[in-house]
Amino acid sequence: MSLHHINDNINSFNSINNVWNNCTVADEKSEILAWLSPLEPRIRHQDIQTRRVEGVGDWLLQTQEYRNWLSGIRGGESDGSALFCYGGPGVGKTYIR
Amino acid sequence: MGGNAAVACFYFDFATPEEQSPAAILGSVLRQVVSGIDEVPERIVKAFRDREKVIGGQRLTLDEIVEFIQDMSSSRSTFICIDALDECAAGHRVKLLDSLHQILQMSPSARVFITGRPHIRGEVDTHLAERATTRSITPTNDDILTFLRAKLRDDAMPDAMDERLEEEIIENITETVSEM
Repeated sequence: MSLHHINDNINSFNSINNVWNNCTVADEKSEILAWLSPLEPRIRHQDIQTRRVEGVGDWLLQTQEYRNWLSGIRGGESDGSALFCYGGPGVGKTYIR
Repeated sequence: MGGNAAVACFYFDFATPEEQSPAAILGSVLRQVVSGIDEVPERIVKAFRDREKVIGGQRLTLDEIVEFIQDMSSSRSTFICIDALDECAAGHRVKLLDSLHQILQMSPSARVFITGRPHIRGEVDTHLAERATTRSITPTNDDILTFLRAKLRDDAMPDAMDERLEEEIIENITETVSEM
């Protein structure tokens, strides 16, 4: 076997080894994610996102409450890290952008 | 804030109450936060490998989940959004709010966004205490107009509609809504 061949073999072994390592890492990550939670909230999220009508509810983003919350500015008695938006059924809470 | 924030969401649903314990909800949040980064934090990998050996692959406890979320949200802006909290069972709700409070307490870069019906407002105020700002949500007239026009545009039978009928529908509905 020529030196050239051996080098080729080593190279292909290395690349297979790399693929193999990447696979095990990727596999373990997805196993860990599945172990952390079997739920898929993204599906509901995407469904809502596609049914949302452009422009509706955008006013919330301009309110002082929202801006303070986003940038973590204290407003009144609250430190602003949690924002609770309340309203009756059907006002559009789920569809807030 | 930077473009590298983590966003996790959870939608409550009457249909699946068994999936909605605080550990299940925050487990889902933790999963979303972890899935957005390249490398799973070592402590989580270790916890996983330790549990893997146990038959049935025991899951994390609520306390562990809270701690991991605290850890991860202390180094990165993390937004936790929870929809329809009123649909969560009352006992679970209080525990969940307390856990969220614990997370906010430890991580200045964590933010919590919650929607729900007005009757749980007192509970949110009590359990998130000094963290919570509340805001009432009602559609504006513009919202209703935009929404109606979009829906009418999607009408499956456009031939049955003329301009006058369209205006009549919009007028009637916006009037009714503003009287609600």
